[in-house]
Amino acid sequence: MIAALAAAGPVIPDFGTGGAATSCVRANHAFCVGWFRDNWSGVFVPALGQHIKLTVIALVVGFVISAALALLAHRLRWTERSITIVTGILYTIPSLALFQLLVPITGLTLLTAEIALVSYTLLILFRNMLEGLRGVPAEVRDAAHGMGLTQRQVLWQVELPMALPAIFAGLRIATVTIISLATVAAFVVDEGLGKPIFDAIQSDVFKTEIFAAGGLAVAMALLADAALVVVQRLMTPWVRARSR
Amino acid sequence: MGAGEVAMSTFIDALKFIPQHHDLILHKTAEHLEYSAAAITVALVVAIPLGVWLGHIHRGSFLAINISNVGRALPSLAIIAIGVAVLGLGFVNVMIALVVLAAPPMLTNAYVAVDGVDPSAVDAAKGMGMRPLEVLLRVELPLALPLIFAGIRTAAVYVVATATLPAVAGGGGLGEIIVNQASYRIAGVVAGAICVAALALLAELAFAGLQHAVTPRGLRGSQTLGPGAAVLPPGELSATQGAIPR
Amino acid sequence: MRIRSLGAALAFVLAPVLAACGSSNSSSSTTTSAAAKPGAGKPAITMGAKNFTEEFVLGELYSQALRAKGYTVKLKSNIGSSEITDKALTSGQIDAYPEYTGVIATELAGGKDQPKSAEATYQAAEKYESKRGFTVLEPTPFFDADGLAVKPAYAKKNGLTAVADLSKVGTFSYGAPPENRTRYQGLKGMQQAYGLTHVDFKPLAIGLQYTALDAGKIDVAAIFTTDAKLAGGKYTVLKDTKGIFGFQNVVPVVSKKVLTAEGPEFSNTLNAVSAKLTNTAMQTMNAAVDIDKKKPADVAKTFLQANGLL
Repeated sequence: MIAALAAAGPVIPDFGTGGAATSCVRANHAFCVGWFRDNWSGVFVPALGQHIKLTVIALVVGFVISAALALLAHRLRWTERSITIVTGILYTIPSLALFQLLVPITGLTLLTAEIALVSYTLLILFRNMLEGLRGVPAEVRDAAHGMGLTQRQVLWQVELPMALPAIFAGLRIATVTIISLATVAAFVVDEGLGKPIFDAIQSDVFKTEIFAAGGLAVAMALLADAALVVVQRLMTPWVRARSR
Repeated sequence: MGAGEVAMSTFIDALKFIPQHHDLILHKTAEHLEYSAAAITVALVVAIPLGVWLGHIHRGSFLAINISNVGRALPSLAIIAIGVAVLGLGFVNVMIALVVLAAPPMLTNAYVAVDGVDPSAVDAAKGMGMRPLEVLLRVELPLALPLIFAGIRTAAVYVVATATLPAVAGGGGLGEIIVNQASYRIAGVVAGAICVAALALLAELAFAGLQHAVTPRGLRGSQTLGPGAAVLPPGELSATQGAIPR
Repeated sequence: MRIRSLGAALAFVLAPVLAACGSSNSSSSTTTSAAAKPGAGKPAITMGAKNFTEEFVLGELYSQALRAKGYTVKLKSNIGSSEITDKALTSGQIDAYPEYTGVIATELAGGKDQPKSAEATYQAAEKYESKRGFTVLEPTPFFDADGLAVKPAYAKKNGLTAVADLSKVGTFSYGAPPENRTRYQGLKGMQQAYGLTHVDFKPLAIGLQYTALDAGKIDVAAIFTTDAKLAGGKYTVLKDTKGIFGFQNVVPVVSKKVLTAEGPEFSNTLNAVSAKLTNTAMQTMNAAVDIDKKKPADVAKTFLQANGLL
């Protein structure tokens, strides 16, 4: 039966080429709306979903580690310098290099991408958290202790709420940075908005795909930033009241 | 051989690769530095005077502060790719893409630095009969220098790091070794990555030294000038000023 | 010491989070109502594909056809050059991938003599893979070969019609994927068979060579004869009179162990796809991807549906 089919030769179907969308694509104009619409659900929706996943994992893990480091440096002042140096080095290493340095150890995996992304959040989050905690005036802390609050209660009920603006500031920078950097992660895992960009570069630098993916990454970063501002305002109503 | 040993031997091979191919490494490093230096210089010439001037006249804060926020949101990979797509491959085109990434943090820091100079110092200078240009050159700029250099440092390290990416689109620099596993094998790729990382750290150290040199003695050791801290988001001002400027 | 403990802490925190994410992210490749299908319940396999358009399309064609038969197939596309992809195969990261018979016979096997016919090339490829515990399935009717292309104006100016004519040019710049430098079906063959020693080799990612040629960055580009870009007379392909570029039909290379585990319907499915891949079919699909920027997955699906393979 296979032989019979083969003898018949292949049917060469219409791949949906031709028309206005095709001529725009063939000329590689700046942005071909028709192509973008055709590939929205097949290419960009999954890429966007993966990009969000990459970002959220990196931020959550980075936040937990940074919080632990900030609390450590807050309690034991002498640890601050070494933490700053280590996170500073991690922050400085270029993403493409860090990915390639990790590949021999963790392979072409999501883990590799996430270790690199997390390492970029640490310095930003750690610094801002620590600055926030340190920014609490000594008299406020003393008053809290005077009211009989334990160390833990002071942390949760006084220091952390007062540090929130600084923590959010750090979270905003980290979020925007990671959304932008996560495009490079496509170098190790075929995921995220970097994948269409790499595909487009390989395909004669196809402009529509680069602009679409790059634009979506920027939009995602700005939206996330705006969302964090809103959340921050809801969580720290006193800041706005004071600045009036 | 366990996975750990494999990774270990890869790194040893990579370290051997560097002296074995030192001509290649030197050539690519030189290319890398050429791109970076050109981009940093152009960004300096464009962004610093603009930021200083805006800070001096205390105008355009919305633009000056938000530009680095938007700049940070721009994926460097996309900017490089767009640069190549629109302008084509080439030294100048890649450099322009790098300038787009380097200028925002410089501009923002220059603006914030000059804008934030203690008004009483400026008033005192005016009281002594200084003209606006003198006030700028003799009072505002010296006081703003540390923060301006913090911005330059951030941008410079960012550029050195990002100059690896043009290789993805056929450009040169150390990135070319990193993305060409077929030519250089995994040892070469890891060696390239080690070199880029070292270069970025060296740039960080060099510019940190420069920043230290321009910082008046009294301000040295201040926490706010560490690595990465230079990029001030709108919100980070809240940590020091207690209010969100928007 | 401190760095190490930081790393440990990082790994400790990362592991459970990633594990949780990994489990929710299982492959989307499972097919509906697979109960009656021959591939149902068979072990999952990973199909690989090299780093250029034709391979992307081939990877999709083979993977989708297998999935339609109920097999669980994960496609790992864009792995890299033949050398890297072959390593992925021998190290078990992938179980199968489409490869060119000539590449296996000369580049991977390291054979000195170029086989003289397509059949001889296939035999040599089969022999080599068989020794290593792999097997090659039926070859495709279509064949693709490496080649050299120049701009017509450049060809006219220097009087070029064949590869040998390049010796008249003096030094020329040659853009090709990095692995081409060490290949007989590339720079090495150009040097050894044609005596072309004044070559300024410019490594380029596959797909960028036409852009570089258009921009005047290179004089001569390494191409594949099935490249969609070659239609339309924008480029002149130089004749390979000494046959350094050899014969290149595509065969799926599969590990023997996998073949046994998956049952006979596995190779039947792949062979049925290969049988349909004529030169016209492949060129049309390459063009749909390269020129009209259709996604390889969509193009493969349309083709398989039209040919009753899905």
